[in-house]
Formats: sequence, C-alpha cells, structure tokens
Amino acid sequence: MKKQFIRLTVNGDTREIAVAPNQALVEVIRDQFGLTGTKRGCTSGSCGVCTVNGAPGEAVLSCLELAIEWDGRSLTTIESVEQNGQLSPLQQAFWELGAVQCGFCTPGLIMSAKALLDANPAADAEAINEALAGAICRCTGHIKVKEAVARAVEVMAAANAVKEGSDGAQG
Amino acid sequence: MQLPPFEYIRPTSLGHALELLAAPGGRAAALAGGTDLVIAMRQRLSTPAVVVGIGALPELKSFEVAEDGGLRIGAGCTLTFLAEHPVVRERHPSLAAAIRSVGSRHVRNTATLGGNLNLPTRCWYTNQSEDWRRARPPCFKTNGDICYVIRSAKECFALNSADSATALLTLGARLTIASASGSRELPLAEFYRNDGLAPTTLGPGELVTAVHVPAHRDRTAFIKIAPRTGLDYGLATIAAAVTGSNRKVTSVRLVVGSIVSWPAPLPGPARIIEEGGLTGEAIEAAAEAARGDLGEVTNLYSSSGYKRRLVRALVRRALEDIRRQKLPAREAA
Repeated sequence: MKKQFIRLTVNGDTREIAVAPNQALVEVIRDQFGLTGTKRGCTSGSCGVCTVNGAPGEAVLSCLELAIEWDGRSLTTIESVEQNGQLSPLQQAFWELGAVQCGFCTPGLIMSAKALLDANPAADAEAINEALAGAICRCTGHIKVKEAVARAVEVMAAANAVKEGSDGAQG
Repeated sequence: MQLPPFEYIRPTSLGHALELLAAPGGRAAALAGGTDLVIAMRQRLSTPAVVVGIGALPELKSFEVAEDGGLRIGAGCTLTFLAEHPVVRERHPSLAAAIRSVGSRHVRNTATLGGNLNLPTRCWYTNQSEDWRRARPPCFKTNGDICYVIRSAKECFALNSADSATALLTLGARLTIASASGSRELPLAEFYRNDGLAPTTLGPGELVTAVHVPAHRDRTAFIKIAPRTGLDYGLATIAAAVTGSNRKVTSVRLVVGSIVSWPAPLPGPARIIEEGGLTGEAIEAAAEAARGDLGEVTNLYSSSGYKRRLVRALVRRALEDIRRQKLPAREAA
C-alpha cells in the first residue's frame, strides 16, 4: 500500500502530506493537521461528529472520505468558526441557550448548522431539522440545539438589517 | 474500525475506470460517494485490492433535461444536487422525495444516484462489524450455508432499501450500463432480482453510468416509513404513479421498498385500480390485495405481520394522496 502525496488546505493552511489510501480524512485532520476539534465517532456516517465543510454550505462526513481523494481540495473545520477570539453568532447562540452538555457532538452540530446557514441564511424550522438530522447528541436532546440555530438565524438577520441600514445612511 | 489496506487509483477518464474495473477476479471496486462502500470496507464486508475513485469523473456528473422534461442523469450526480434541482422537483416530484429520504443531508451531499441504485442488500446478521459477525458461523451472505433470518431457508433474504429505485421504477426509468467491452441499455425493471445474494443483474466489470427518466404527466407519490425521519433505512417505502384521471385510469405502477430483496412491484393492486378507477372502494381492495404480490416476507428488522400491514397502509395512503392531487395541466397544443 503506497503512500501518496496530496496537497490539502484546511482552514486556509495548505500542506503537502503523505497519506496512505486507507486513511480517512478525519484521521488526517486530527493527526497530521493536529486539529482535534473534529471528532472521530461512529466512523459509519451515522452520528455526524466528524462533520467538516467542503465547499461553503456543504456538510461533509470526514470519516467516510478517503483523504487521498482530497488532493487539491480545501475544507474548513470547527477551529475556523471563531474569528479573532469572537464566537460566531451560531456559537454564541449555542452558548447562551445552553445547547451543549458534554460537548463531544458540538463541533459536528456547529459545522452541520454552519453549512446550512452559509447556503440558506433564512433557514426555517424544516430546513434546520433536515440539516441536523445527521448530527446526533446523545447527552441531552435536540430542542435547545434547534432553538440555538433558529436564534442564530434571527441574530444574523438583525445584524444584516442594521448593516444595510447604516450602509444606506452613508450612501 | 480501521480501513483495510488497498491500492487507490484515480482514473483519468471513464474508459480508464472501466479498464481498471475489468481487472480479473472482481478485486477492483468503484468508489463514488463512498457513503456505503467505506462503511462496508470498515466492516470487512468488502475488501477490494484496488479502489477506483470515480467520484470526480465529469462523464458521470452530466445532467441533461430534454425539451419534454425527460432526464438523462449521470450516475455520479449527488443526491443533494438531484433533490434540489428545480426540474426534478417540479417534473418528477416522487423522485425528488425518494432521493431526499435517503440517509441524512450529510450523506446526500456525497452519495450518488448510481450508488443508491446499487445499494447492497442488508441484513441484521451481516451488516455488523467483523468481530460481531465472527461470533457465529457465516451465513449465505458471507459465504456460509445458513440463514439466521429463516433457519430452514436455502437462500438469502437480505433487504433492498434503494429508495430512489422505487420511484424510478414507477417512472419507467432506463439505465446505461458500461464496461470495458462496450455499453448497453436496460430497463430498470430488468436490473433487480428478488435475491438477497445477487440483487442486481450487473455483470463483473460493469458500471451504471446514466439513468434515463422519461417525460410523463402522471400523478405520483412517494412515502417512507422509518423509525426516524432522518438517517434510517425504511421499514417500508412506496412509490406510486398513475396515468389518467380518477375515473379513467389508463396505467398504475406501484413499487414497495425495504420489504423484500428487491424493490417489489405490485401488479395485482395496480390492476385493481386500472379496472376500477381511483375510487375509495378500489383503493381499499388494492390495499388488501398487496400482500399477494410480496412473496416471502421475513421478520428482518420488524415482524412480517407488521410489514404486511405497513404495505397495506402505504398502498392506501399513496393512492389516496394521488386521488386528491389535481391532474397536471395539459400542455398548450
């Protein structure tokens, strides 16, 4: 089993790394990039804790991807969501509404919800349900998680309205 | 579970991929979205020597809409792409619904239509980790000589849960199947067999490359019953298509999934509606008649009695749903 070199970009950090064909993407993210926010859970696509975003708006299960297929591609992980020490609206909403318990599933839930909001910033309850159906919390429940995503939708819409208002005033 | 060792090759073209898949002994496997194959490899249900990564081949990603609304779908189109495509949603709503019912959003983002049509049949005793399976002698599906679902059986009863297949069958879809020695077309209805061990007629080295969905003006329905709305395989699914008005029905197709080893057509109930029209009485009779077309229903995943009742309910619901739908508007002549 020959290792091959791939060029992979994670959160803007591009590296040339040697990977074996049977290495899953989640292993490369955790072991070679050292980004352990992405969790290794069921490794069978059922729990969603390994979720990363491929293209913006695209939730990808990194346990079911062969790293070798990601040559020349880029992805983002939970570590990219906080910017300059500031939680994103989604993270802030999870924090404020207590949509966490042990926290193991939280990166996967955030990256699943982030994919949704990147593609559909006005997501309704049905869209939120659909986006989160593949990401599972075993501690508590999904009510607060869904409330947190809905709160993030509101907060982001309000922020955009303020921004557009002030842009208008300046223009 | 760690993946077993294998060589990985990314083919440069479809022709190159087909050459690689023609390797003797069937030791090469095509990997598209990988949402099923990677799990099967982790569980050592599939241990190919060579994995051929066909996911990025442009030949398999094409999507063409004919003027009349018919589709030619490259087998490598992802399920998310298809479920969200406006033409699929508007012209082929039962297909959009069936595709949207597969797995989760995460899975559909990478899973492909070709992959879903080729979903291996599943069984409680087989689709487990290798350690779990090793705890008892192998069954027919794992090269043994026993069936744990029906002890006296001489065959395998693993279930076919390819959700997209049920809808495509009611729409009269056809496949393009290619191999290193050429390509052929096949009605999807001739693709499946009610055989848990050999659920499709796909030959060694062959690959489904495209799915053709003819234009239609049918009223259609798709319903899936599963423990959860997301992620679970169906306990029972149904796809239905009706040509004609409620009074004058010219053709009915009914196909149920996740019940037996193939997406099972229900010609008996269909004939009752074709003869009696879409009336409450005929729908009731069709629902009662459904069990006659199912063949052997096992206790796999839920009891056989429950599954027969689910099918009866699904036939009734799908036909009642279609009965309430408006006839599609006639195109301007």
